[in-house]
Amino acid sequence: MAKVAREMVERAGVNVNQLVELLVKNAAAELTTFYYYTILRLNLIGLEGEGIKEIAEAARIEDRNHFEALVPRIYELGGKLPEDMKAFHDISACPPAKLPADPTDIKAMLTVLVEAERCAVRGYTHICNLTAGKDHRTYDLSLSILQEEIEHESWFSEFLGEGPSGHFMRKGETSPFVSKYLR
Amino acid sequence: MRKFTKEDLAQYNGRNGASAFIAYRGTVYDLSDSFHWRSGVHQVLHNAGEDMTDSIYQAPHGEDLLKKFIVVGKFI
Repeated sequence: MAKVAREMVERAGVNVNQLVELLVKNAAAELTTFYYYTILRLNLIGLEGEGIKEIAEAARIEDRNHFEALVPRIYELGGKLPEDMKAFHDISACPPAKLPADPTDIKAMLTVLVEAERCAVRGYTHICNLTAGKDHRTYDLSLSILQEEIEHESWFSEFLGEGPSGHFMRKGETSPFVSKYLR
Repeated sequence: MRKFTKEDLAQYNGRNGASAFIAYRGTVYDLSDSFHWRSGVHQVLHNAGEDMTDSIYQAPHGEDLLKKFIVVGKFI
């Protein structure tokens, strides 16, 4: 635990235990999403499926990166992850992104993906709101993750034809915002 | 339609098998089936059995999300 770092956050008026619980729940959401995205990606076949496979893969890797980036902050603040993987899964901040009943239904698949990303966007906005001006490190981390989650939402929303967002796919590298926490 | 006082509402806190009800602008909603209100707790900070009218302004979502839940009464 980073004792003084935690103390600074507490002194700023943040309930650190509540914040840590939120971070753990969101870390669980990232890891479970990574798992389910792996299954989803494997089922993205055919002309339609192949068209979104690469972008789903970028989102999958970046969600794993979000998990990796969140874990050190949880421990810095005096928290920890559950020792039981099932318990970790069950406290996820977002509903697990299950494969649609018909895995060839690409629109249903995209709907699962966009809903998962929208849950994440709300979750990190919530954490940013709680930490802005109070816990600079958690705020910056959450904002970095939020930037990527918003792009994920935009990608899948565009594939669903909901409207343009002006975003483009990654060009070779993943996590342009979060990578600074992974070095 | 059933009328809920603050004390009535507090019994539906989502814990120990109780339903999870919340009040918003005088209407009581049943959120028991919501993933985001499991065990009567939402985003760590909010508890079922309470009036969320003031809290929702700080939430990263609007009141439109409540429309998909069943209205069970009026909050008086």
